[in-house]
Amino acid sequence: MGEACCGPGYPSPAEAIKAPREKLLYTIAIYTGTGIQKPDYLATVDADPDSPTYSQVIHRLEMPGIGDELHHMGWNACSSCHDDSSMARKYLLVPGVRSNNIHVIDTATDPRAPRLHKIIDGAEIRAKTDLSGPHTVHCLGSEIIISFLGDARGEAPGGYLHLDKDFEIVGRWEASMGDIPFGYDFWYQPRHNVMISSEWAAPNTFMPGFDLEEVGYLKYGRRLHVWDFEKRVPIETMYLGEDGLIPLEVKFLHDPDSTHGFCGAALSTNVIHFWKSDDGKWAWEKIIDVDNEPHPEWPIPVPGVMSAILVSMDDRYLYINNWLHGDMRQYDITDPHNPKLTGQVWMGGLLGRAPEVNGVKVAGGPQMFQLSLDGKRLYVTTSLFSTWDNQFYPEIRTQGGVMVQIDCDVDNGGMSINPDFIVDFGKEPNGPSRCHETRYPGGDCTSDIWL
Amino acid sequence: MSGTRTITIANRGGAAYSVAERRPLLDTLREQGVDLPYGCRYGGCITCAARLTAGTIDQRRQVALNNRQLANGYVLLCVARPVTDCVLEIGVESHGLLYRNPFLDPLAPHELKPAIARPKEP
Repeated sequence: MGEACCGPGYPSPAEAIKAPREKLLYTIAIYTGTGIQKPDYLATVDADPDSPTYSQVIHRLEMPGIGDELHHMGWNACSSCHDDSSMARKYLLVPGVRSNNIHVIDTATDPRAPRLHKIIDGAEIRAKTDLSGPHTVHCLGSEIIISFLGDARGEAPGGYLHLDKDFEIVGRWEASMGDIPFGYDFWYQPRHNVMISSEWAAPNTFMPGFDLEEVGYLKYGRRLHVWDFEKRVPIETMYLGEDGLIPLEVKFLHDPDSTHGFCGAALSTNVIHFWKSDDGKWAWEKIIDVDNEPHPEWPIPVPGVMSAILVSMDDRYLYINNWLHGDMRQYDITDPHNPKLTGQVWMGGLLGRAPEVNGVKVAGGPQMFQLSLDGKRLYVTTSLFSTWDNQFYPEIRTQGGVMVQIDCDVDNGGMSINPDFIVDFGKEPNGPSRCHETRYPGGDCTSDIWL
Repeated sequence: MSGTRTITIANRGGAAYSVAERRPLLDTLREQGVDLPYGCRYGGCITCAARLTAGTIDQRRQVALNNRQLANGYVLLCVARPVTDCVLEIGVESHGLLYRNPFLDPLAPHELKPAIARPKEP
């Protein structure tokens, strides 16, 4: 680490913050579950304010087939191989949750017009590794691991697919899943030999849609798992109980020396803070609890549904969403035990606080987001998952998703909707599509890990 | 003819197709040019759901539909085999009863997925 300069990424988070501003965004857009019989695609969005096509989709790379449900994605390489001059951040790995296909997309040859490099066939992954329902992609030095939420028949807990740098299947990454009941997201901190994983549900449970009753039948997760990263085995469980119903996104602070991290419990709508305590044990506490909100048509108050969280590259701010309420929040986490709410904006949601943003009617609520490396621009999209969208926001079928830019004050805290930027995926050439996760060619705030 | 069944698509002008009884309807209908949505192809997600309005389907491999969706006639074409001649409504136009807000309209215990449903109270 330190002075090396030839591989992908940056020598440190502090260097990453100084990177040039992002000018292109990649976001996936789906037709799966919308009634439009077209493939899902990777959209390139122009984010350069000086460009004539600013705030527009300038390229669409269609997948070869329909029904993938593209969802999350990740880079083939990040700052974890900054020392390796043979590596480059060139390929986005874009899994289809429903099809099991992994699309490897070359974004470097022409960054404005990414092209398909390779497909790892979903049936081959099922046959060779007994996995289905791909989710989080992280690179691991020059190799890649992807969490899968189910076995080949869609039953939990699934496991981890290990790919080499040429995108060949090595096999299962983990030595054991222990007694882990469910998988979802994961993040690792190599200097502490630790990985933390979270729990959604089995594909057969979440893919058809959400049912509250199934939470009661323990079909959804409520635990975090601590792994021995080198031995690739889970060694400790943090049982979160009612405070941690459906713990989804896991993020460590970017500082590679830190053991502090966070998880958003979607249904409880809480932020869980975890860290390694002085006696070497992993500890956790609930640091943010978003109250359910009354709604005139609901028999019970509406939960926020915190489906994503993100930590700024300088480790100062934590961003969270409330997909059903419709707000994005910024917390100062300088003291991770005592977060301070420093910003909040509304866009869509069920509470009716901001049905329109920059002249576009918002179907859905703030859902996935990506922050610029300098922490000043937060790009937010509105679709969660086709079947869940259809349950909570049926109007998204005809309106499509939107991408909004929130300007963030990194000095004093605060957030505001940027008035010049909005991408209306309701106006796509093949009909309304739904945008989800976003990444930038130069790396972003949820991709890079430092060794 | 033995081994085949006639599938009528009510919301495609009553178009009729002769299909093999032992193969999934998603495959046999798509092969004849019917444009159908699909996702997982093993009965674990409901992207390919259609509504059966007449006839009998064998979909024992499906694991995604709950008992209310089953009672409303939904079938997952990727694992559905026709036992008799059938009439179907296809595509998202048939999905009016498939999706519901789980907080506004919760399932009764007997309406859950078959694996966890309890018998209906008399």
